[in-house]
Amino acid sequence: MKPLDLNDAQWQAVSHQGSHLMIVAGPGTGKTHTITYRIVRFINELNVGAGLRPALNDVRVGLEPTPTDQRILAITFTNKAAKELQERLEAKLPEFWRLATVGTFHRFALGLLREFSDATPLPKDFQIALPEEISALLEEIFPKKTTLERKETLERISLIKATQLVIDPDSDYQTYHRFLRAKNWIDFDDILRETLLLLENEEILAKVQERYRYIFVDEYQDVNLIQNTLLKTLVSEGVLLTVIGDPNQSIYGFRGSQVKFFTRFEEDFPGAAKLYLTENYRSKSNLLSASSQVIAKSPSTDVPEIIAKIFDEGRLVIHEAATDRAEAEYVVHQIEQMVGGVSMLSLDSHRVSSYNQAQRSFGDIAILYRLNAQKNVVMGALDHLGIPYSVSAKSKIKKEELEGVTQETKDEILLQQHEEFVDYNVEKVSLLTMHAAKGLEFPVVFMIGCEEKLLPLNLDTMKGDSEEERRLFYVGMTRAKEQLFLTRAGRRQLYGQTFFNAPSMFLSDIQEDLKAYENSKIRKKINKSKASDNQQLKLF
Amino acid sequence: MKFYADLHIHSKYSRATSKDLDLEHLYLWAQYKGIQVVGTGDFVHPVWLKELEEKLEPAGEGLFSLKDKYAKPIDAKIPHACRGLVRFMLTVEISNIYKRLDKVRKVHNLIWAPSFEAARKIQAKLGSIGNINSDGRPILGLDSRDLLEITLEADPKNMFVPAHIWTPWFSALGSMGGFDRMEDCFADLTPHVFAVETGLSSDPLMNWRLKQLDPYILVSNSDAHSPSKLGREANIFDTELSYSAIYRALSDENDKGLVGTLEFFPEEGKYHYDGHRLCHVRWHPKQTMENNGLCSRCGKPVTVGVMARVEALADRIEGTKGRRHRPYWNIIPLPEIIGEAKSVGPASKAVQAMYLNMLNHIGSEFYILQDAPVFEIRAVAGDVIAEGISRMRKGDVKIAAGYDGEFGTLEIFKDGERQKIEKQLALF
Repeated sequence: MKPLDLNDAQWQAVSHQGSHLMIVAGPGTGKTHTITYRIVRFINELNVGAGLRPALNDVRVGLEPTPTDQRILAITFTNKAAKELQERLEAKLPEFWRLATVGTFHRFALGLLREFSDATPLPKDFQIALPEEISALLEEIFPKKTTLERKETLERISLIKATQLVIDPDSDYQTYHRFLRAKNWIDFDDILRETLLLLENEEILAKVQERYRYIFVDEYQDVNLIQNTLLKTLVSEGVLLTVIGDPNQSIYGFRGSQVKFFTRFEEDFPGAAKLYLTENYRSKSNLLSASSQVIAKSPSTDVPEIIAKIFDEGRLVIHEAATDRAEAEYVVHQIEQMVGGVSMLSLDSHRVSSYNQAQRSFGDIAILYRLNAQKNVVMGALDHLGIPYSVSAKSKIKKEELEGVTQETKDEILLQQHEEFVDYNVEKVSLLTMHAAKGLEFPVVFMIGCEEKLLPLNLDTMKGDSEEERRLFYVGMTRAKEQLFLTRAGRRQLYGQTFFNAPSMFLSDIQEDLKAYENSKIRKKINKSKASDNQQLKLF
Repeated sequence: MKFYADLHIHSKYSRATSKDLDLEHLYLWAQYKGIQVVGTGDFVHPVWLKELEEKLEPAGEGLFSLKDKYAKPIDAKIPHACRGLVRFMLTVEISNIYKRLDKVRKVHNLIWAPSFEAARKIQAKLGSIGNINSDGRPILGLDSRDLLEITLEADPKNMFVPAHIWTPWFSALGSMGGFDRMEDCFADLTPHVFAVETGLSSDPLMNWRLKQLDPYILVSNSDAHSPSKLGREANIFDTELSYSAIYRALSDENDKGLVGTLEFFPEEGKYHYDGHRLCHVRWHPKQTMENNGLCSRCGKPVTVGVMARVEALADRIEGTKGRRHRPYWNIIPLPEIIGEAKSVGPASKAVQAMYLNMLNHIGSEFYILQDAPVFEIRAVAGDVIAEGISRMRKGDVKIAAGYDGEFGTLEIFKDGERQKIEKQLALF
């Protein structure tokens, strides 16, 4: 029977049987929700096969999980997404959720490499090289290259590894590979490549295939050739694959992801069915219209239009500031108003009017940017008012941290190294790159730097694919539930250069009647002169 | 011994505070005012804490004194009549802004610590979850209850005191950002709170009207943002001069160490009445009710002040006393009385000169306001000032109540009254 919290399309996706399935799910259409239910369904079927009662909505204590070795494999794009999915499964199936192996491609693959280490050509105690170890190694191999050149070489090698099954002759790659192995190391990309080699062993492959009869892959629009090949290897007769994703949100082309694997799913996995989730439960209707208008200009897609299920209107504000500093001031002032003032001074100085009831707290708000280099000005403005914020950043793992920990813990830490991590223990404004914002949602979103040269990215040193940049813009916009601010600066300092940027071309794709233009109303900057200092003191 | 304590102040590292707020000025002004225990404020701020560790040394259990080499140069400036010992206590105020029960809450809380070790532990923990560098009173997206937990974990002898609990915007029971019940704010840890700060806009009489405040002893502090505002409110103790004696006096229901408090006239506080400052609408809560809470000028909801908020939550008639009640005395800062007597502003040169003159010849401000014989004041400061202080002691003053961030305005003398007083007295 259809649970009440699923709509018809979601229920269809949950209950689909008998073939591979591709679910095309736009932003806010309940992707994780649907996939959770579908996994729950399969776990129950496993249990029935093993002679246990279905466990859906049925908490029983003391029963052993299914005695067979059969499991469900659910692959997520990030460790964070894996954790969320795991928590949702645990809530629904407190006893049996462990029948699903949830993790990233890399986590799953590394597990196999460790489990079947005897069958790999790798030494038994191989280690994943730390970033600092790789840097040192590159310095040793390429002493004549600059740091930047070495970084570029590494990125190129990584791209090669993600996109080529048979690697073209490339001297840098070969040298690097030889040195790496001499140290008993593999790098992050090698985890998947070595697993492909391992699965050439038919006995092991058969074991793995027997174990995972149901496979799920989230964010399928962002898989690369190696991941696609790995899936084709795993999915044999009788194994059912479900993938979910949104080609409009494919934003990792620069890392080797290819949206073509999404579009040719039915060729890779014959007999596959295709279903669409189109009802959006996240964003206010006008915000959804605006983001739909932006993505509609992208020629790549056969995704049906997303339909708003939240009918009232949110705020879509366009703000143009003179400089990047003024832009940051504007953003911070908006935040100050939304939380109804952050100090007595906010109120007594009338920066925030006293009849503004606090509507938001810091955790409701995100500031998104294209480049990390844009964030410093915003951080300065937030610091000025003492507003707490967290910045997404890749964790920098130090060698010392890993001393004395078990191999398992070490692998665990290293698997997370490529993820931008945000600390959510306390409420803070989230500062995120648009890439890091993928999969998240916030009541209020500021997208700063909506300018040509940044969106689409088009600097002398860095260029993005313009269609992918459009999708990135779309990903950013669709994070917002209620309020979306698209801001830009007429003059911007970046990497020591001054830019005078025109508005981003994406802004003009949004219909005028959806946009509210707002100018800065901030009074003279606080704390500027001695006179105003004295004025403030009188208020206390 | 009997001593005065002001345990909520800020340093120069808090936003919008005087650049003079350093240890030397606190040491000086504490003696001007007659305060023996003064809070350091802001101990979570890394630069300030370093300064505290450098300039202070242990003096009695859990309290600190300014090292001689820093105190000596100041001593010369202090009138002999005011000189007294000054002890510092490690204090900080935290601004908690967070969502709880679906509403945005903004609560200010005080933490008092018995040692640098305890202070550093709190600093380390808060530093790991938020920005403690840009404001001496840091803003954290942390639940008040969780802050309390951190406080108790750092050292069980730390004290946690909800600050100015009635302030509309930033307090545990405030109308705009607070809760209706202390339990909603501090949940399972509520029993670990044993004192609350009344704030300038409320006095004990108002607080006693809430049964839910019975478990708490009421404390009063200045929340000074400049040294001269020290002691606007203060606590009077009569016990051993140590942190643990203060802890006992506040936490132990049977301890009589806290004698009472010095209070602002609550009408003088910035949020006593309701209204809109920009619209010049100042309303008694009754008027607010008659207008359905909407400003008659701009039509938006008025800022609901402390008086109305107390009324809304009160469950006793006025006049009842709370379980842990102490006597209290309303005071007016001496410069205001002098200014009122001379019909000039309290910050004017004439007032400053008279202020120092009185400190030189009579004693500290608290002594003058509370204990000095009126004839002695008259001899030094003249008839009108003496009459002003005497009226203050009797509570015989008129105050147009403060509202929406505007301090109340004081009227001790009616027009023409000042000359009359001088003439009358001249007859004797």
